[in-house]
Amino acid sequence: MNTRIIPKEYNYTAPQTLAEALDILKQKNVRVLAGGTDLIVRLKMGSEEAMETMLDIKRIPELKGIAYCEKGAHIGATTALADIEENAEIIKNYPALRDALVAMAAIAVRHMGTIGGNFVNASPVADTAGPVMVYGGQVHLKGPEGERVIPADEFFVGPGKSQLKEGELLTAITLPVQPADSGAAFFKKTRVKPDISKISTTVYVERDGETITNCRIAMGAVAAKPITLPEIAKEAIGKKASKALFAEMAAKVADTIKPIDDIRSTAEYRKAVANVMVAEAFEVAWKRAGGAL
Amino acid sequence: MVEKRIVGTETPRLDGVAKVTGAQMYSSDVHLPNMMCGVIMRSPHPHAKIISIDTSAAEAMGAICLTRDDVSTYMYNERLVSVPSATYRDRTLLPIERVRHVGEPVMAVAHETEELAYKAMQLVKVEYEVLPFVLDPEEAMKDGAPQLYDEIWYGLEKGKVHNNKGVIRNVEEGNVDEAFAAPGVKVYESDFTLNRIYHNQLETKTAVCAMQPDGSIDVYSTTQSIHGSRIIISKLLGLPFCKVNVKKMAIGGGFGSSIQINTVTPICAALAQKAKRPVRIASSREEDFYSHHKYPTKFHLRLGVDPEGTLVGGHVTALVDFGAHQIQPLAYMGCVSGWFADMYKYNNNIRFEGTAVYTNKTPCCAMQGYGNPQINFCVESLVDEICNDNGWDVVDFKLKNYRGVGDEFWGQGPTIRSIIKSCGVEQSLVEGREKFKFNERTPYTEKSGRFRTGTGLARGFHCSGTGGPSEGEVIDFSSCMIKINEDGSIDVLTPLMDHGGGTWDAVAKIAADTLCVPLDMVGLSPAETRSTGFDVATHATRGIYCGGAAVYHVAKKVKEKLLEVAGRIMLENPSDLEVVRDDELGQAVVRTKGYHRKSMTAGEIADHARIFSWGTIAYTDSYRQKNCPPCFVTHFVEVEVDTETGEVKTPRVLMYADCGTCVNPQLLEGQLVGSYNRGIGYALYEDLPHDPKTGELACKGLLVNYKTPTSYEMPSIANTKVEVCDTYEPTGPFGAKGIGEAALASVSAAVGNAIYNAIGIRFTELPILPEKVLAAIKEKEGK
Repeated sequence: MNTRIIPKEYNYTAPQTLAEALDILKQKNVRVLAGGTDLIVRLKMGSEEAMETMLDIKRIPELKGIAYCEKGAHIGATTALADIEENAEIIKNYPALRDALVAMAAIAVRHMGTIGGNFVNASPVADTAGPVMVYGGQVHLKGPEGERVIPADEFFVGPGKSQLKEGELLTAITLPVQPADSGAAFFKKTRVKPDISKISTTVYVERDGETITNCRIAMGAVAAKPITLPEIAKEAIGKKASKALFAEMAAKVADTIKPIDDIRSTAEYRKAVANVMVAEAFEVAWKRAGGAL
Repeated sequence: MVEKRIVGTETPRLDGVAKVTGAQMYSSDVHLPNMMCGVIMRSPHPHAKIISIDTSAAEAMGAICLTRDDVSTYMYNERLVSVPSATYRDRTLLPIERVRHVGEPVMAVAHETEELAYKAMQLVKVEYEVLPFVLDPEEAMKDGAPQLYDEIWYGLEKGKVHNNKGVIRNVEEGNVDEAFAAPGVKVYESDFTLNRIYHNQLETKTAVCAMQPDGSIDVYSTTQSIHGSRIIISKLLGLPFCKVNVKKMAIGGGFGSSIQINTVTPICAALAQKAKRPVRIASSREEDFYSHHKYPTKFHLRLGVDPEGTLVGGHVTALVDFGAHQIQPLAYMGCVSGWFADMYKYNNNIRFEGTAVYTNKTPCCAMQGYGNPQINFCVESLVDEICNDNGWDVVDFKLKNYRGVGDEFWGQGPTIRSIIKSCGVEQSLVEGREKFKFNERTPYTEKSGRFRTGTGLARGFHCSGTGGPSEGEVIDFSSCMIKINEDGSIDVLTPLMDHGGGTWDAVAKIAADTLCVPLDMVGLSPAETRSTGFDVATHATRGIYCGGAAVYHVAKKVKEKLLEVAGRIMLENPSDLEVVRDDELGQAVVRTKGYHRKSMTAGEIADHARIFSWGTIAYTDSYRQKNCPPCFVTHFVEVEVDTETGEVKTPRVLMYADCGTCVNPQLLEGQLVGSYNRGIGYALYEDLPHDPKTGELACKGLLVNYKTPTSYEMPSIANTKVEVCDTYEPTGPFGAKGIGEAALASVSAAVGNAIYNAIGIRFTELPILPEKVLAAIKEKEGK
């Protein structure tokens, strides 16, 4: 392995329109370049043997940019992570996504990497997945047979695998307008600040007075894909918010997840800190929903 | 008018503009006409016999291949700073019979581009017979374990290797057993495990080698020693020294990893010789990861203390897992025994028993401290424990027991001894405990809550070079040539390397002040092995103290010549003349002493000598330092431990540096702050576990898997304080001694002691990862 060299030759194409891109995708062994922070790494490591064509979709204007309207946020697939993190509407309306973005990788990587890439790469550790899932986000896919929209929490299938079919492109992530008195928070643990997560959690709550009226919990790096825990989340609904409840919820999450040992941490540690982080995330989410403790 | 001294003044770094603009030439920037690019095939196996190497397909596509059939079988050691009798040699330019660690070079390929070379390399077929391998040093010493070597060169004699024991080194002074058995003496002991980490210097190992029409070879390479590189290349290529010309290049950091020649350089040289064209080999980061590590060591430490709080003896057993080749674990263990002996007086009762063992892993070499951070962590942790156990003030205990002025200091193990003449330990400890409010700290028993803070103290030191009153097993001298140009500017020619610490700035300042010229009138000449006298290497924190001393010595001689020539022109006795710097004239001025009736600039004098054909005012010589002064440091660290996640932060640090006269104030601070960052990396983050099944590094040599602390992990700038001790080293140039390696020595112990003060748990194994901290807290709480 020599990560300075890409030890293979391939075609490179950078179309200006989505139609052209979808056309090229019909060819064999095309890999999409949305940011490159995963694809180029894999190429250099020699693990993209089959790739014949690199399809750079960064020059397609309609795939880039953030729009916010009465329906919510529309984030183009090739919008750089850094651009999302600096967007005023995202900061205001989706603070947990912003938390996740600023906690991701090094600044240089965030300027290269894109949200579409983070999704299609489908790493169990993908930090943007949790916030998008708990905010009720949707993934927009376009292929020869037209457009499909899939709820974000159904998008991931396994390590590197998603609902994306051959010939399809992920075009955008959309986030619905958030109800009043709702809030979410993202927490992660890493070895050093710019790093891949050892574990991450996102918690979303809706509030009516002192009562939790809706709840979603997402976890990263504890399974073969980013996951949500609807069964556990359901248990918080209808209950009065308290530190004790949050601790109870965290303990349930820690009991349920089945993380593994790897180079970044151990299964035991991941379970132990889930117990702490989930409660912290509940607290911040609750405060963001306007709740007091 | 007499101007302020330049030594000690803040000046912009001489290579600063070049480095920040990218104009600085490193070896990897050297592009020569007709140059080929080389790549090295590396072993996928931790231990295997090479049955055959088939290069035909690669050669068919126009590649030049270098295999074991092309190279010398001379056994060498990459590191050449010790005398031949203390240099154990076990490797050849390419492995002849077998490979002994994953990532070991097997053969090399050159082609027109790096991509083509890589492609050709993939066509080379190597047949291996995979052998059993051993990664654990304790396993390696057992009967029946896989044997890495039959025979190696133990200095000047060839000998058998028994049970993979590469080096055994024992050192004894006084009588530890008697000291420990004395009435009232209490013996404290503990095991310590110090981790294997990677240098992670910015520049990966690179070489550009070019055969010349006269049969000589030019070498541009990543090295801390151009002369050491020349000797090795000369032996391996069979060329006389005059035909091997190693160029002095800027290097992007070393941390000790280029004291040795690095395996890529001889491979590149041999490939260039075979190709008869210039060849460049630039290691990838992953290759570099498999080239060199810091020595991991398991220690058992025993310290005896009497009821009055005097350390009466110390006993260390060390087991060093140095990997598949010797880059001088013999010297390493000698040094560790010395660093141990130098910490405290122990009534001169010291025993060191060291065994260094071959394993099928990447070879280990010096890394900032050469064993000093390792043994420092053990000693300073156990001393903290002794003080806690007896209710003694740790500062008072250190003041009572440390080695200071008038005491003996082992500069590089037991063979290099001198007497300490300058010492900032008292100032650091006494002033520091007030400044840091260390004396107001409370014990861990009074702490509660999720986040607990604690403060810790440790002191350390390093040698300044490896000189001394009598020659030991390490070679130490430097060389220099200085001339005064005909406009009064000076050219300084030195083989001394600067691996980022500012050694070149320091020697320029020393030359400027000695010859009384402004700094911009000093030129550092390009240097190469052909044009310079010998210098051993920039290592052992010797740059300023030893290399700078050679410049100082030669500059003084040039000054004598300047006065002599001036005397002839001015019709004065040279002893009645003096030289001063005149910043208005931008020159050195020679004038009559006392009453300045006559004066001339150095430029006028040198030009007069030119016009009258008297010659150039110049001098060249070699110089050895006859002393080895310790440079001391002290670290006061505050930690904050999250008892629910095990995470440790260090929000505050105070560091004391005793470097004698400080030559480059900002660079000194940079050394301390940078070393603190590396120190917390060693203490809290970095480790290099191996995959027991494949013998590969678990991180596979990828930085994404090997995390070092960034600026985020550092204390704030306001809470990172460096204080410079007010000391003067009488044997150093302008009173200066070293600092580089000392800066790291006591970081990890201070962090460990602070963690103890926060939560009452003593960690004896590095790195102190959150996973370990949390497990220890839970164990303590009985969960």
